[in-house]
Amino acid sequence: MIKKIQSLFLSFALIITSFVGLGQVATIAVADDFPSKPIEVVTHAGLGGGTDTTARMLLIRTRKNLKNNAYITPKKGDGGNKAMSYVKSKPRDGHTVLAITPTHLFRMARGGAALNIDDFVGVARTTVDPIVIFVNAKSPYKTIEDLIKAGNKKPIKYGGTNVGSVDHISGLIFAREAKTKIAFVPFEGGGAIMTNLVGAQIDAAGLNLDEGKDQLESGELRVLAVMADERLSALPDTPTLKEKGINASFATVRGVVVLKGTPADRIAKLEKGFLKAMAHPVYQNYLTGAGLDASSVAGSAAWDAEIKKIYKEARAALVSLGLAK
Amino acid sequence: MELISKITLILDLTTFLLILGSTIVGVLIGALPGLSSGMAIALLLPFTIYLEPNQAIAAMAALYCGGTFGGSITAILINAPGAPPAAATAFDGFPMAQNGQAGKALGMAAVSSVIGGIISLIVLIIFAPTLAKIAYKFGPPEYFALAIFGLSMLASISSKSPIKNLIGGLIGLFVATIGVHLTTGISRFTFNIDELFEGVSFVPVLIGLFAMSEIFVQASKSELLLERIKFSAIKLPSLTEFKNCGKTILRSTGIGTFIGILPAEGGTVSAMIGYNEARRWSKNKENFGKGEIEGVAAPEAANNSATGGAMIPTLALGIPGSATTAVILGGFQIHGLRAGPYLFEQQPDLLYTIFYGMLLANFIFLVFGLLGAKIFSRISLIPRGFLWPSVFVFCLVGSYGLSQSMVDVYIMLISGVVGFFLRRAGFSPAPIIMGIVLGQLVENSLAQSIIIFDQNLFMFFTRPIAMTFFILTFLSLFYKPIKNLLTERKST
Repeated sequence: MIKKIQSLFLSFALIITSFVGLGQVATIAVADDFPSKPIEVVTHAGLGGGTDTTARMLLIRTRKNLKNNAYITPKKGDGGNKAMSYVKSKPRDGHTVLAITPTHLFRMARGGAALNIDDFVGVARTTVDPIVIFVNAKSPYKTIEDLIKAGNKKPIKYGGTNVGSVDHISGLIFAREAKTKIAFVPFEGGGAIMTNLVGAQIDAAGLNLDEGKDQLESGELRVLAVMADERLSALPDTPTLKEKGINASFATVRGVVVLKGTPADRIAKLEKGFLKAMAHPVYQNYLTGAGLDASSVAGSAAWDAEIKKIYKEARAALVSLGLAK
Repeated sequence: MELISKITLILDLTTFLLILGSTIVGVLIGALPGLSSGMAIALLLPFTIYLEPNQAIAAMAALYCGGTFGGSITAILINAPGAPPAAATAFDGFPMAQNGQAGKALGMAAVSSVIGGIISLIVLIIFAPTLAKIAYKFGPPEYFALAIFGLSMLASISSKSPIKNLIGGLIGLFVATIGVHLTTGISRFTFNIDELFEGVSFVPVLIGLFAMSEIFVQASKSELLLERIKFSAIKLPSLTEFKNCGKTILRSTGIGTFIGILPAEGGTVSAMIGYNEARRWSKNKENFGKGEIEGVAAPEAANNSATGGAMIPTLALGIPGSATTAVILGGFQIHGLRAGPYLFEQQPDLLYTIFYGMLLANFIFLVFGLLGAKIFSRISLIPRGFLWPSVFVFCLVGSYGLSQSMVDVYIMLISGVVGFFLRRAGFSPAPIIMGIVLGQLVENSLAQSIIIFDQNLFMFFTRPIAMTFFILTFLSLFYKPIKNLLTERKST
């Protein structure tokens, strides 16, 4: 009998433990009209990635500012499309926020996505990380012109993340604008690209500064140019492609958006909550750790204009490259 | 000795308790299918900002160690590997539990995990800056050769018929092709299901093939013929049994540490190759897959030594050696710290805290594992009618919890049904899992190699490391037939 009770207990224990960590933490709603329930931030990436970590760091102080809980719902799949179709199914009341990246914008630009660029209103920008062109320090390419010239003889083996990503498109646009040729080598992530560049498997790569910073400082990598309109404060001597007359400015930008139709006063409230959270040392320290600075943060108006601009450029780029109709 | 005096870094009460807590949380989370140590660390990251940076990083590293070990518990007891690196542990661990040796399997898992973990940590603290450079020597061609070497054991990975093992491997490789192709961006077999674009997630397939299909197998047995497992199941392994596994543990530790250093691969591949090699060199080849204790020692030593191995490039170069170390690097960022060559020169205290934190974690789960083995092994005494229905709930929740997606639950159920019929037809899940684990690596690294080599495959001959693996593969495939051929000639 005792044994039976024991085994019953054990099987119950098994069932109960299997629920550990699944439930989203529910909180009591504050009586204020908005937010009247926890804010849901939808991401398209796995736990622990850049998008996920940024969102989590953002929410630490946002909870306090908005006097309500906030949680992250990861919806991975099809370049952010899964996240977008999930957001589409939610009411436009400001309680659902999408963490948006160029991945979403390029996915929309390819066509057939659940939502359109005009369905969104930008709330705040959280990070800006321009793409920097790196080469191996032992390579003969001392300037961006050297690389461009070499590419004309034999395509540059140019590393980036998956096909159709901002890395890929920025590499192709760079090649087109600089009148050179690249052979794009896709890798699984920034770490793999950097390793292969140090190991001289590839000639060049577009990376975020942070991804190659250590190897740059230890003298294994060299930077040739920044894909931005202005020079980076961390790389004051590195020219931008724009200075060189090459029209290719691309960055890994991240921010938050809500669906169009969300009441304007709620958007303003969200914006205020997010901006205040990002001004706090908790978030600022995170930015510094990631090799970024306070200029990453921007408000609703600027961010809304920026995503629309990136979308337009992405669309034009994809059509001109024959990757979208 | 600077190293020894630095042990004081973790001897204050808060740090000690943090490491203790993290390790135990790690073991429990590792044991639950669908929850991984990487996930746990990611969820806890924002809370660590209130801790001292050294404490926070040590806690994360300890959780990582505990989580890798924890997966073996459920793999052995209910055939549901708590985390992918423990998949190979289920091959022999679960049959052992079925034979009434759950305690032995759990005890062996704990001891071999600790030996693997500690040796790899010593390698980490002494050789990290030198060994980390191996990561740079491994480009796509080398990964391709390594993966081919791993696949060369497909036919003999289980004692089932070699043809069936090969077919199983092909099924695994096929499953690995689902999703968007890395170098062309073309989507394959996705049927416009958004979740499939990034490939079939491994965990639901794992839970389905192992635990779910086991539920069907158990359900199809007649209750009348049921033999109750004797209470002696909670016995721990004897000293002789540990001694007999010594060589296997050391070999697996070497394999695990080395593969752990390679950034693209971690505990799962280490455990697979560790298991393969244990079988290749074992005297009891025939017993593998039926409850061979070496078959538990090998993958456990390999996957835990891969944790120390994976920390090598993470700390020395700032390149994550596995999915979990990638999240730990995120933890560095949150605290405004940087991994890389500077860590060794400028922040030795942080490095020593991580080292001792992980070392302590290993001892904690040794104690926890050995004491716990006696308690956990009682799960194998639970009557089937109670145990398996609760495992079913476990399977559902575990596969849903991974990314809160019903598609993963369907994948788990489909894998369970397919796995059941394959098992009835005499297939083993081992080669299928192997195919899935190595499939993407084989395909992506080959596609990348082709671009790097300008479409000229003969360029593989210019890569010494890759060629070494190709030669090993060739030898492992043809050593026996050639030897047989020669002895036949002699005798005639």
